[in-house]
Amino acid sequence: MMGFRTGGLTLAVIGAVSLFIGAAWAHPPFCICKMANATTVSCEGGFADGTGVPGVRLDVIRYDESVVLQTKFGPDSTVSFKRPDGEFYMLFDAGPGQSFDVDYKDIQ
Amino acid sequence: MTVLASPSRGASLWQRWRFHLSALVLILPIVFGPAWFHENAFFDGKKGLGQREIGEIAVGPWSVRLAEFKLVAPDAEGRAGHAKEFALALCPACVDQVKAAYLRVGKPRNLRTAGALFSGTPYRQTAEMRVPERTTADDELWLTLEGWDGTLHQATIPIRKASPVMAAWLEKRGRP
Repeated sequence: MMGFRTGGLTLAVIGAVSLFIGAAWAHPPFCICKMANATTVSCEGGFADGTGVPGVRLDVIRYDESVVLQTKFGPDSTVSFKRPDGEFYMLFDAGPGQSFDVDYKDIQ
Repeated sequence: MTVLASPSRGASLWQRWRFHLSALVLILPIVFGPAWFHENAFFDGKKGLGQREIGEIAVGPWSVRLAEFKLVAPDAEGRAGHAKEFALALCPACVDQVKAAYLRVGKPRNLRTAGALFSGTPYRQTAEMRVPERTTADDELWLTLEGWDGTLHQATIPIRKASPVMAAWLEKRGRP
């Protein structure tokens, strides 16, 4: 009888709490790029929920759309590369709608 | 004669308060129920496309209805910065022709940088658009529609028109 009551209470709590659970939210991607030293750019990618991006593509592209470098994030979701000359941007591309471009002016 | 062991203090408190706790659990949904049903109707689309409809926007040969999903400032998304959710409905005539819709702040360089992808049915789909750090209230949103035939069409919407709430938030935040 005691167990039945406890079970009922648990069900009531779960039922009440579930009423306040909203819709699932999207978790947008991010890519933060910094100068690791005078010549090397280091980028860290991921999603807002903390999901890492090992193996996900990162392209370094000039403003004229010529691709300077195609690389991938490592197991720690970071990638480093030699900074190209001129104007360029980095494109973290995890698929349609899941990309994040960082202009060279935004390298921290 | 058996002697009953007295319950511990913790067990005694639990015995005393569990009734009140279970009553609270039942009362809370009654108190917050109306707000929840209002919110649920909103997510179901019964309250319209979004909390504030921006209007009909021509995008090449197509048109869409765009709305602010919620009348709130952009949400903080941790390391991803801030994002703002919009809702979109394709025109009935272009439902079969449009493959995808994207939204972003500023002009996209190409389709890969077209921004947040709308997901949902053609009649009501949503996207959580990233708000870059350098965004100002004078910037524009770029809406890109991709057709099944591969064609791309774009339209711009000033942020002040798309979301006065977001524009006010950007002005308050200032340019970093």
